[in-house]
Amino acid sequence: MSVDAARLPEAGRWRSLFDFYVTTMRTAVAAQLQYRVAQYFYMIGMVAEPVVYLVVWTTIAEEQGGAVNGITVGEFAAYYIVWTLVRNMNIVFGAPFWEFRIREGRLAGDLLKPMTMLHYDLAYFAGWKFVVVAMWIPIAIGLSAVFHPTLDPTALQIGVFICAIWGAYLIRTMFQGIVGMLNFWTTRGAAVFDLYMATEMLLSGRLVPLQLMPGWVQTLADFLPFKWTFGYPIESLVGDMSTRSLLLGLVAQLLWIGIGLAGYRLAWKFAIKRFTAVGG
Amino acid sequence: MSEPVVHVSELTKIFKVPEREAGLGAAAKALVRRKTRDVHAVEEVSFEIAGGEVVGFLGPNGAGKTTTLKMLAGLLYPTDGEARVLGHIPSRRERDYLRRMTMVMGNRNQLQWDIPALDSFELNRAIYRLRREDFLSMRDELIELLDVGDLVRKPVRNLSLGERMKVEIVGALLHRPQVLFLDEPTIGLDVTMQKRIRTFVAEYNRRHGATVLLTSHYMADVEALCKRVIVIHHGRILYDGGLAALADEFAAYKTIGVVLENGGAPLDSYGEVVEVDGDRVSLRVPKAETSRVAARLLADHEVLDLTIEEPPIEDVIESVFAQPAG
Amino acid sequence: MNAVRVGWLYLKIGVLNELQYRVNFFVQLLQSLIQIGTGLVMLSLVYSHTDELHGWKQPELLSLLGVQVLLGGVIHAFIQPNMERLMQDVQEGTLDYALTKPADSQVLVSVRTVRIWQVVEIVSGFILLFVGLAGVDKSVGFVDAIAFGCALVIGAVLVYCFWLIMTTGAFWIVRMEHVLELFEGIYRTGQWPIGVYPGWLRYSVTFLVPVAFAVTVPAQAVTSRLQWQTLLISFVFGCVLFVVARWFWRFGLRHYAGASA
Repeated sequence: MSVDAARLPEAGRWRSLFDFYVTTMRTAVAAQLQYRVAQYFYMIGMVAEPVVYLVVWTTIAEEQGGAVNGITVGEFAAYYIVWTLVRNMNIVFGAPFWEFRIREGRLAGDLLKPMTMLHYDLAYFAGWKFVVVAMWIPIAIGLSAVFHPTLDPTALQIGVFICAIWGAYLIRTMFQGIVGMLNFWTTRGAAVFDLYMATEMLLSGRLVPLQLMPGWVQTLADFLPFKWTFGYPIESLVGDMSTRSLLLGLVAQLLWIGIGLAGYRLAWKFAIKRFTAVGG
Repeated sequence: MSEPVVHVSELTKIFKVPEREAGLGAAAKALVRRKTRDVHAVEEVSFEIAGGEVVGFLGPNGAGKTTTLKMLAGLLYPTDGEARVLGHIPSRRERDYLRRMTMVMGNRNQLQWDIPALDSFELNRAIYRLRREDFLSMRDELIELLDVGDLVRKPVRNLSLGERMKVEIVGALLHRPQVLFLDEPTIGLDVTMQKRIRTFVAEYNRRHGATVLLTSHYMADVEALCKRVIVIHHGRILYDGGLAALADEFAAYKTIGVVLENGGAPLDSYGEVVEVDGDRVSLRVPKAETSRVAARLLADHEVLDLTIEEPPIEDVIESVFAQPAG
Repeated sequence: MNAVRVGWLYLKIGVLNELQYRVNFFVQLLQSLIQIGTGLVMLSLVYSHTDELHGWKQPELLSLLGVQVLLGGVIHAFIQPNMERLMQDVQEGTLDYALTKPADSQVLVSVRTVRIWQVVEIVSGFILLFVGLAGVDKSVGFVDAIAFGCALVIGAVLVYCFWLIMTTGAFWIVRMEHVLELFEGIYRTGQWPIGVYPGWLRYSVTFLVPVAFAVTVPAQAVTSRLQWQTLLISFVFGCVLFVVARWFWRFGLRHYAGASA
């Protein structure tokens, strides 16, 4: 039989990409719903971090007459509760997952498929987010009942926020992916990852609202991608940003997505070269 | 004559393996200057495979068969030499190529673990950009051939090892690939399941004319499926041809089974006595001497029964592999 | 006493094993530095906006951080590895190996494993503690030091008992490992004096997950604000929890032995 026999025709390019995203997201939801219990525990553990920060800053604020640097107790509560949503949206196919993928030998199987890995990771985690957000809602309600946040966003703010959390998701996928790909060259990728996380914690608004950081830190944060994955989305919803700065923020996110994507593709090219050279 | 489906020429793969002695001093030195050793996994291998052939790769662990297969699948970049499959260069990993081939590795799961296999098939449909009608007809055909109708609705993690292998195969063939790389597909499975999968591969090859490259430790796989075998040892091809002719080329001896009228006579002078089973004596005799020894036996004794047998393929292969490198 | 000898033997083997992986030392050093660095940044941020947090001055809070890191090191080096291994044994049914050895089972499962490089964490905790104390006005008296030592030991015992009780729960509830993953998160609450937490949280981290007792009480001792009643309660609580943990462990073992097929 000739080599061209039984060759199946392809469906249209863009339609199949859309179809691929929808199918993958649906698969992710079905698979992740099976791990509800584990996810809930993880989320509760994650909530401990912002609760501690919130309590500390609330104490300081109360001892200082109600506010720190103009941020009231209610605003702190709002900041850290929205923090929990942004934190959940931030979980991407990052360094630990890359390490797992390489170590467990799943990479070979994934590489045999005619689909860019990035699409697969983005689609799968995006689908997962829907499960995550649904589970987060009761936790948010509980936290709000205990800590009484002051939150009164406009429609524009809500719209920008929704765009911003997905922007944060994309930026973080790119940058964490680059760090994760270090695992192709070293088994100690976790150490670099820790360093990255520590930097992110300080410069992103995860530890404290960036307003409370010394001036030079705030300037530095403006030129790095971290702020746009954490602080900016939170501030867009709970803060007092002008329309101009809200929209400029989205532009900044687009810029960082572009830089991240370029870096990711470069890293991936080298990673594939490395993998196919040494096997796995 | 049409182009061969697989064309391999002087294909070579050399791995650099870090080498370090024990001890703190060596560890410190290793941080600064890494010493590596070259492992020649595949050494100037050449062969061609035509469409529709089912070829078995035989060789002990570390011989280079999986490495060769991985280079043809695009998972490994060759150090030297050329490989073409379906006209594509595998290491380029072109989407077009990936859609026309598949690789199934024994003991590895590519389907989603927690959801029914049917849902994983949907995912593969989207990944391979299949048209719905093509997907459905192929899927149903495969499910029927492998008889997994009641298994595909269960989450994959609930299936036994053999059942998992069957649904993995369905998932791997949904896009009707023209080249199949099967790396130890029956490893760890029970005998019935092995037979099932062999039958399936033969049937798939018959129906769709796919080219199959198969590696296996089980001679039964190779004997059942492959008319042609390529024997690889220490990265080199030792033999490339028909399975039946393999024994001819490599067997250094044949086995003469003889039953004598007056059993019990010592037969050491004729050859190496391998087995005595009641009245039947098995003699191992160098190939060139077979007819002469047989003639002597017939002349010297009252022979009730005499057979001349090829050594079993396993033994041949074993003796082939026992040869040192070089 | 046999338990001590067994413990010592396992410690020696565990250390020798781990010493092979010298890279781990540097990795651990890096991780400890990052952890302390972040803690210090948070501390200086807080004190750039205030002079006193709930009555604690900066050097005092530094000492508290030191105690938290120090105790954290003890947990990560000696307690957590054993409990995680125990959990794994229960889930995979390999506990029998530990049970057929001629030593008290609780001692055995508690000392089998050690992550020796976490000692770096213990050392850094001590360093922080001393640096903090250097900045405190009142110097540490002899009584305070003794109280500190006792409180620290009681704290370690409390955490150990907590872990043991939770892990023993794995005999019945397979999902126990998720509960224990929460520990790291909840342990963060030990970075700050428990007085800052709202009532419900304070009680939770005192009695439910005894992180507060474990960290705050020694820190209170060393900054001369410990009341003897607190130490007494801590001591009683420790004894009670130890008895409960041991009883629960033997109860769980009997259930395990009876249930295994």
